Amino acid sequence: MERALTPLDCLLPAAALRACADGGANHLYHFTDGSQDSFLPDYISGDFDSIQPEVKEYYKVKGCELIETMDQDLTDFTKCLQILQKKIEKKGLQIDMIVTLGGLGGRFDQIMASVETLFHAANITPFPVIVIQECSLIYLLQPGKHKLHVDTGLEGAWCGLIPIGNPCESVTTTGLKWNLTNQVLKFGTLVSTSNTYDGSGIVTIETDKPLLWTMAIKR
Amino acid sequence: MERALTPLDCLLPAGNLKFCLLILNQPFNEGHFHCLWSKAALRACADGGANHLYHFTDGSQDSFLPDYISGDFDSIQPEVKEYYKVKGCELIETMDQDLTDFTKCLQILQKKIEKKGLQGKHKLHVDTGLEGAWCGLIPIGNPCESVTTTGLKWNLTNQVLKFGTLVSTSNTYDGSGIVTIETDKPLLWTMAIKR
Repeated sequence: MERALTPLDCLLPAAALRACADGGANHLYHFTDGSQDSFLPDYISGDFDSIQPEVKEYYKVKGCELIETMDQDLTDFTKCLQILQKKIEKKGLQIDMIVTLGGLGGRFDQIMASVETLFHAANITPFPVIVIQECSLIYLLQPGKHKLHVDTGLEGAWCGLIPIGNPCESVTTTGLKWNLTNQVLKFGTLVSTSNTYDGSGIVTIETDKPLLWTMAIKR
Repeated sequence: MERALTPLDCLLPAGNLKFCLLILNQPFNEGHFHCLWSKAALRACADGGANHLYHFTDGSQDSFLPDYISGDFDSIQPEVKEYYKVKGCELIETMDQDLTDFTKCLQILQKKIEKKGLQGKHKLHVDTGLEGAWCGLIPIGNPCESVTTTGLKWNLTNQVLKFGTLVSTSNTYDGSGIVTIETDKPLLWTMAIKR
């Protein structure tokens, strides 16, 4: 069975559910300065070691659900996803994907932690989880066939396939400028970076192991 | 055989380790540049890295001449290339499109200095005072079946490190000033640098 996705479809409105993981609430609060009450998240979860006290108080007063999660073995991102899946099931929401803002900037170890959460996401939720920050998007492809629609007009020039965590013994693509045919992708052998599109608007990828897709978002 | 390293020694004016400096095509770490440049045994630019060097040293470029500039030269500005060429810097054109300029620059460096190995036992000295709070061990290209550490707040003993199982992020130090890591496969060490 093939999984189809339009990665940048989410940059067109609108979200069914909105959540912040801990200090993500700080960014939301400051970014929406002057009209915070038009941008209230459905819930904020985490161990609350990053959220500023005045931000936490503001959203609490406005009626946002605050869910404290103390587990130190899992990141705030992972825990937020777990809660999200429960709410999606409880509300019977019909959704196509989960979009994460942030997680790809600053500390290298935290970028890697975001990738690790994508590995665990497969066991948490059946929905595709993408992570977006600045000009980058990442999406973990599970073993099998994938079709990505890259014709929203919001795609930037570059894209790549990163065998993060494990070598891939056989990867086959169409729709890229430099396609692969039963190719090994492995750190130390070959990693597909600075790739681009052939103009067809569709990229297909078949992989035998988890493989990280990454692409540019136009500013 | 164990390999010992003090990763941030290169940022200390009084640091002892000999190193080579590669400048890539990215905005500069301006705060550390002068220390890195003055202590490096060999200095190289990968293609557009020469642009950053040229503009950053504006007014005294001739005091900061790289030993060589390598790459396919699709990023280096013509006037920058001409300047360094006239000043006697070695320009090494590498046309291979399957490899990045960084990779090719390293290959050339290997020819100019002695070669070193990758895996096994490692000792990192993390007591320069420039270490930030966080560190991590990332099994980036392959699972590691057996990783053992000392000196971290959350140490590992014959632990599997693998994306989807366990990745060590947001780790920190136990205060001893030394971290030892034994790994059976290539493993990426990452750490914070204080601003």
